[in-house]
Formats: sequence, structure tokens, C-alpha cells
Amino acid sequence: MNRGLNRYAILVACATFFLIIAGALVTSHDAGLATPDWPLSNGQVFPKMVGNLFWEHGHRMVATTVGMLTIGLVFYLYKKEERDWVRKLGMFALFAVIAQGLLGGLTVKLMLPLAVSTAHATLAQLFFCTTVSLAVFTSRSWMAAKPIPEVKGSLSLNYLCTTALVTIFLQLILGATLRHSATWDQHLPTELILAHIGGAITVTIGLGSAAIATLRRYKDEQFLTRPATIALSLLAVQLCLGVAAYMTRLASPGDPQPLNPMIAITVAHVACGALVFVSTIVLTLRTYRVLNGAFVGAALRGRPSVRSQDWGGHRVPPLQ
Amino acid sequence: MNKQTKVWLVISIALSLLALGSACGGAKGPDTNKNGGEATSATAAPPSGPTGTISGVISFNGTPPAPKKIDTTADPVCGQKNPNLTTDDTMVKDGKLANVFVYIKEGTVDGGKKVAEYTWPTPTTEVQLDQNGCHYAPHVLGVMVNQKLKITNSDATQHNIHPTPKLNQEWNQTQANGAPPIEKSFARAEVLIPVKCNQHPWMKAYIGVMKHPLFAVSSDTGAYEIKNVPPGKYTVVAWREGQTPEEKPMEVTVTANGAAKADFAFGTATSSIAPSLKMMPAIEFPMIGKH
Repeated sequence: MNRGLNRYAILVACATFFLIIAGALVTSHDAGLATPDWPLSNGQVFPKMVGNLFWEHGHRMVATTVGMLTIGLVFYLYKKEERDWVRKLGMFALFAVIAQGLLGGLTVKLMLPLAVSTAHATLAQLFFCTTVSLAVFTSRSWMAAKPIPEVKGSLSLNYLCTTALVTIFLQLILGATLRHSATWDQHLPTELILAHIGGAITVTIGLGSAAIATLRRYKDEQFLTRPATIALSLLAVQLCLGVAAYMTRLASPGDPQPLNPMIAITVAHVACGALVFVSTIVLTLRTYRVLNGAFVGAALRGRPSVRSQDWGGHRVPPLQ
Repeated sequence: MNKQTKVWLVISIALSLLALGSACGGAKGPDTNKNGGEATSATAAPPSGPTGTISGVISFNGTPPAPKKIDTTADPVCGQKNPNLTTDDTMVKDGKLANVFVYIKEGTVDGGKKVAEYTWPTPTTEVQLDQNGCHYAPHVLGVMVNQKLKITNSDATQHNIHPTPKLNQEWNQTQANGAPPIEKSFARAEVLIPVKCNQHPWMKAYIGVMKHPLFAVSSDTGAYEIKNVPPGKYTVVAWREGQTPEEKPMEVTVTANGAAKADFAFGTATSSIAPSLKMMPAIEFPMIGKH
């Protein structure tokens, strides 16, 4: 375990979170087409950042920084990281951020078609998920984690967490589609709003079940209870933000321009959604890490799960 | 780097280049003149002989919504030039409504031919759309298919002009301060094309594109006049912007050298519903009671 590498991975994850916020600000300000150019803005590398160009070009600058940081992360991984699958995940992050940049260019060049904008927003979440995973995999707590005997429940925790993760991801796609289906001065499509509300209920059930099962079955295991508590708390905040975002968005078509309350709340809703997603990823990865019968490293290598395996560079005995 | 990683690297670069290529190829030139105009069976020249006019006044019933102040702090140039910038979607003076687009939608010219069967020549004159004080002037305008639209920037800041048509080709172009006028045209008739500036999101205009010159926009006094109308019976429509644009039709008969009247009225009864109430269907369940 290399502490510098882990800190750098955390930095990349934090920068990615900031990038998601910057992207959400572009959408809420309806600034995506403030310049018809890409990758330059109005033919310039550093245009005068007035009006909505501040948000669009600012987003591009943050994205460029994240891209550079990701390149640095790949170099760092190939220099310091011994686990091949972690290095490969770093390469995947690099490909994802390149693809994300190209998708961003497509949104501008094709003038924000819904499918491309939604794909751009969805890939942003996947990239964030990847950078957070790299921060998890390079952390001391991941390396030092010891296997925990699984407490039997009606459903395994791995299953519950994975289900929660999938429902959150689908809900993020729905949310991205909803957000990009209408600008601030248009009404949102009723069908998508209903689908997103349905998704919120499903996520609440899915993530609630996973988190509560974790807290009940492993109440003394901070390695699991901490992400479960954070995910559950963020979910509560996210539901409140969702209602608030809906209320402010209802009135926005009558406004002369996107107003700050609507912008702040909808951007917070996007950001909190991303945090719910990654906190659930952390929980899921950790359950796979320490619970019986599962091992992330083996799974990523495509090998069968074995109790006695390469455990972060150490060999650990099987659980009895 | 092992072999598997190299393969993925090559695939990713290839996909990236493909995406970039489609991005460059997807944004075709905005010149719509080459499209040759909307396919039409109209071949006859417009009828010669005496014509008439259609005129009227657009009224606004009820209390008009107060103009809303626009926050221009995002671009100080806008605030310096136009410190009292307000919304102009409902411009009412003494109960009369400006910026209503009135046009002949359909009808029969005396002699039996439909108005759509005639081909009017494209005017050689340009129609101007100016960006002045971070505000479009005029707010509503009409052009004929393939008529030149001259877009100017009178501000000391840059704008981007972004029409969002449904039938014509969408385009988005930046116009810096001091840049020469942009000349565009639209190849298909469309009522009406919203135009916005993505740099200053409050800036909005509407362009009516017609195959004939039989249209007008109400002035500050609510008055309008459509000139040179061939004698006949027509459906005249008054169009007003809004979340859901309103259209009010009226049957009008025009005689040679005659002056037909067509007054329209819009009002708060149909347009001032609070946005929250307008969105109430969002919480209805569409399937219930529909089977």
C-alpha cells in the first residue's frame, strides 16, 4: 500500500466530484451551447468568460484538469501499484475520461441531443464510480481488512448491496434523461417525472434494505457500518432535495432566466445523487471484500472465488 | 503494458476517433439556402389586379402580468447598456397587445385557387434582427422562405444566436461585438421559430417563416395591417408566444380595394395560470381512467 498513491487517488475522486457539480451547473444555467465550438470556446483557449460562457468554459477547464489528473493517476499506478487489476482499472478510468470528453464535444456539435446528453451525464457517474473505487482499492483500510464470517439473513448482503447499486444507477440514468429532456423554460415530461419518482421509491427500498441489513448484521464492523450509515443519511438528504428540486423546477418556466434557488437545489440534487451512488459502491465493494465467498480481486481477474487468495498482496487463511 | 491492455488501448483510440469524426461530420453547415425550399406543388404566380387589406387591433383582456426584472450581473455590459431590462413576452399598453404574429393560414382566392397554390417571389430586401442591450429587436418578426435575415450585434459583448426550429435546420453561431452581420435564411415555412442566446438566457425572439407575404406583427398600439391581400376568403390566425403558444383563428373575406377587419383578443383567462397549477398534470397518473 502506497499512501501517496491513495492520497492522489482521493484527490482525483474529489476533482471528479467537483467536475460533476460543474457539469450540473452548465445544465441548470442552460449554458451547454453558450459556444458552438469544441474543443475551443469561440475559437479561443481562454475566451472572455462572461454570461453563460463562464459556466460552459469553466466546465471544460475543470474537465481538462481532471483528465490531466487521471493521466497522472495512471502513471502513478503503473509505477507504484503491484496489483495488475488495479492498474487496469486505472487504464479504464483514463479511457472513460477520454470518452467523456468526446461525448461532451458531441453534445455541443450535435446541439444537445437527448441521448448524447444523457450518455454524457451517465458516463460522468461511471467515471466518478471508477475514481472512487481506485481510492478504495488503494486505501489502507482495504488492505488491512480481514474476512468477516457472514451473518445469515434471508438475503445475502452482497446481493442486497448489488441490487441497491443497480437500482441507483438506473435511477441516475432516469434523472439524467429527465434533466436533459427540457430546459429551464420548458415543462418537464410527466412520464419521466413519474418514472423518476418510481425510481426514488425503488432506490429507497433497495438501499434502505441493504444499509439496514448491514447495520443490523454487522453493527460492530465499522468497515461496513460507516459507508452504510453515510449512504442512508445521503439518501434521506437526496429525497428531500428531490422534492425541493421538483418544487423549484415547477416554477422555473415562468422565470425570465434560470434563478439561483432552482439552480442551487437541482445541482445539489445531482451532486447528492452522485454521493449516494459512490457511498453505495464503497459499501458494496467492502462487503465483497470481507464477507465469505466473495473476493473482489478474484472477481476482477475472472478467477473463481477462493477463500485463500491474494489478499492485497498478502495471503490470508480461509475462514473457518 | 501487457497485450490485453494494448488491445483495449487500440480499440479505445479507434472509438474515440470515430466519435470525433462523427462530431465533426454531424454539424453540417448552417446554410439552409441549398435545401431549395419546401417541396410544394405551388406553381402559379400570385394573382394580379386590385388587392385589399386585413387590419385590426390585438387586445389584452384582464390585468397583464407585470414585466419581470432581469438580472444581468452575469455580463456587466448588459447592465451598463440596459440597466432596466425586463421581460417582453407580454407587452401591453392601454389594453393593446404588441408582438402578436398575424398571418393568413389558409384560404381561397377569388377564382377558386387555394392561397397555398400560388408562389410569391422571395423579397430581395433583408429583414433585420438586432441584438441591442442584450435584448432582441424586434422581439417577433416574420420573413418569407429563403428571404435573407440579417443579424446584427449592437452590443459591446458577444452573443450567440441559436434558433431552435422544428422543421428547419437548427444552427448556433457566435457573434462577437463588432463582428459583421450574419446573414441567414430558412428553407421551410414554420410558425414560429424560437431564437435564443445561450450566453444570455433571457434573450428570446420568434421568427415566423412564411411561403407568402401575407403576415404582420402587432405594434406597440396593438395594431397590425396585412397589405396586398388578393380578394378571397381566408383563415387569419393571430399567434402569441407563451409556454404553450396561443393561436386564435378568424374567417375573413377580403374584397378588391377593400379593408377587412379582424380584431383579436388574448387575455389572462387562458394564459395567466400559475406555473405550479399548469404543472399539476405532472402528478396525475396518466393511465387512470383512460381505458
